[in-house]
Amino acid sequence: MELINSLAAVPDTELFTGGHGGCRGCGAALAARQAMKALGPRTIITIPASCMATIGGSGLTTAWEIPFYHSLFECAPAVASGIRAALDIQGIEDVNVVSWAGDAGTADIGFQSLTGAAERQENIIHVCYDNETYMNTGGQAGSATPYLAATPDTPAGKPTPRKDMLAIMAAHRPAYLATASVAYPLDLIQKFQRAREIEGFRYIHILAPCFKGWGIKEDQTVQLARIAVECGLWQLYEEVDGRRRVTVIPERRLPVREYLRLQGRFQTMDEATIAALQAAVDRRWQEVPS
Amino acid sequence: MRQLLNGNEAAAHAARLARVEVLASYPITPAAPAMEKITQFIAEGSLKARFIRVESDHSAMAAALGASLAGARPFLITNSQGLAYMSEVLYHTSGLRQPVVMAVVNRALAAPHSRFPEQGDAVAQEAAGWIQLFCENNQEVLDSLLQAFRLGEDEGVRLPVMVNYEGYIQSHTRETVDLPQQEEIDGFLPLMRRPALDVANPMAVNTVAGPELYMDFKYHQDAALQQAAAVLEEVSAAYARLTGRDWGGPVAGYRLEDAEVVLVAMGSLVSTARIAVDALREEGEKAGLLKIRLFRPFPAVAVRQGLPAARAIVALDKNIVYGVGGALGRELRASLYGHASVPVFSYILGLGGRDAGVADLAQIYRQVRENMVAGLTPAAYQWYGL
Amino acid sequence: MAAKDLPLVPGARPGSMAAAAAMERIREQRPAIDKEKCNLCRECLLYCPDAALAIAGGEVRLELRFCKGCGICARECPARAITMVPEYAGDRGLVGEE
Repeated sequence: MELINSLAAVPDTELFTGGHGGCRGCGAALAARQAMKALGPRTIITIPASCMATIGGSGLTTAWEIPFYHSLFECAPAVASGIRAALDIQGIEDVNVVSWAGDAGTADIGFQSLTGAAERQENIIHVCYDNETYMNTGGQAGSATPYLAATPDTPAGKPTPRKDMLAIMAAHRPAYLATASVAYPLDLIQKFQRAREIEGFRYIHILAPCFKGWGIKEDQTVQLARIAVECGLWQLYEEVDGRRRVTVIPERRLPVREYLRLQGRFQTMDEATIAALQAAVDRRWQEVPS
Repeated sequence: MRQLLNGNEAAAHAARLARVEVLASYPITPAAPAMEKITQFIAEGSLKARFIRVESDHSAMAAALGASLAGARPFLITNSQGLAYMSEVLYHTSGLRQPVVMAVVNRALAAPHSRFPEQGDAVAQEAAGWIQLFCENNQEVLDSLLQAFRLGEDEGVRLPVMVNYEGYIQSHTRETVDLPQQEEIDGFLPLMRRPALDVANPMAVNTVAGPELYMDFKYHQDAALQQAAAVLEEVSAAYARLTGRDWGGPVAGYRLEDAEVVLVAMGSLVSTARIAVDALREEGEKAGLLKIRLFRPFPAVAVRQGLPAARAIVALDKNIVYGVGGALGRELRASLYGHASVPVFSYILGLGGRDAGVADLAQIYRQVRENMVAGLTPAAYQWYGL
Repeated sequence: MAAKDLPLVPGARPGSMAAAAAMERIREQRPAIDKEKCNLCRECLLYCPDAALAIAGGEVRLELRFCKGCGICARECPARAITMVPEYAGDRGLVGEE
């Protein structure tokens, strides 16, 4: 496999086309568009209830150029398991089977089927596109919502920290695990390229900001996805056989305050909390092998 | 080849003979042995299939649906809590027109907790758009399951099928079952591949349907379900030519020609009622039996045609739709309304494994006959055997 | 009234959303690309959520039917070759085609 090493080498073909129903500056649509550059046309994707399940298909029209099934909320990884079994029994090889869920379909309502498929080491790729809230129903808090983020149902800020899905998924010993960000498309594309070459259960978690949920401007989707990496709150890495490799070390380091203060949802966070968060990020940063 | 098989074993043999390709099931009492038997067939090589060891009934139905969408012939088994848990996926499966076949080993729903037979679990899914067949014995379990694949996969139907048999009474009781030859079934059930999810012919499945489309999709789905009764007649006839066993179409009558009081039942109660009718006939009673084999779509026309001489109808329901009564009682009244003024006496019995034997049915018969002679109007429904 | 003739499995065929795209109905601003400044680095291509940008004939081309006017391309362009211009101009209404 030849990794795509430059933007010029990225295929022109759009497998998630323009004309979809996403909002302006949609981070979720951006994640799908980037990933499809690596996954290619021999891919079957199932997406449970979420923005992504609906913006790519309305009535008798779709933005998907590949087989797509808008599944029920709880069960995209189980559907994907069934698809894989059906392909195996028919002797159909070299097809990527992908369940692609938001943070709710991954960490909350969809978690049971996800942990089941991961434990069975199903030969599928599960993607979490993470906007850290339930955006399809108006932005309510979920387990992936960060500490003190204000949402429609946590107006005073979410009282508990974000669930660590990456640690949970790593505990399943997946064949491949990676984080990605829509601000680093080459890194994201390369991770999907590596994932598709590996057999077994693969988990890719993409930070995909949503301007509405985060209280930013429509054109800041990529900017925030980048600053999340630069401030150390979102680290880009991959794990094969449990061995972690950091794939992007940002050129500059920014304080977490800069990331938080750009967003409307953290306006109530006080300086002491920000300082504590900064200290935690600093500790983690030191663990990163240079 | 005749073997002594319980209902679960008969179901497993049906899956083997139908050459199911994907088994996605989560264990539940008393259905789990059927699933185990199929995994044995896979392990010993007599069935080439993939077993997806799912973590829940919801995922079982989801995986079976995924397999069907990708072009395979799946199978699964469940009941009661498992069936209720998969309910929303049942609606996806019928709405997406996938001919998934599932055995349902009927068991009462909690609370209070029960693991004993009753048909309330299947009745609760009556609006899910599945074809529902009920079986009176283990031979019919095998035969109806084999017919279910052909029925559901029929081009004019293309809908999922639930084949019901009761926990313990059928699942754990051995009876003689005649197994057809594999070659016979291969000819009866050719494998059709119609993947909706196909990289060679991509399609986006279950896109959002607005008010301008949703109702029309539902119209087509219901029209296809209504087709199932006629197709079942054809499939049953073809199966009878193959095996010599004819279970009839949507309904089957027993000693109905001059029957004045007709017992109507589905599932294992049918074989009990058959014995009761014989005993009553020996006493000179004009008793008859109408077996409901197809519960969904409900065969209203066949029911009306099947009751030519009836002066009273006895609906025997091993289910309770709270606040309404028994499902059969309700359907029978609705089917006859405006066509015949025959009173329907509706009985709730046998819930959660409460015994309902030949003597019970004879007693119900006598009660109804007395009421009929007295010209009494039937109660909305009544409980028997409390 | 007869029911609409519909696919048996509810769904849609590829290409249909792209063919029906008409984002001018919701767009309030559009990118203007300064060809002198553009160095064809292609960053904007992969940052566009709507696949509205492509390179053709040695320059970045904009598919206006897809562009919702989010402005990510303008913000992210390393050469600062893209500026967002309004589709509406107050009382003067629609800004005319280029």
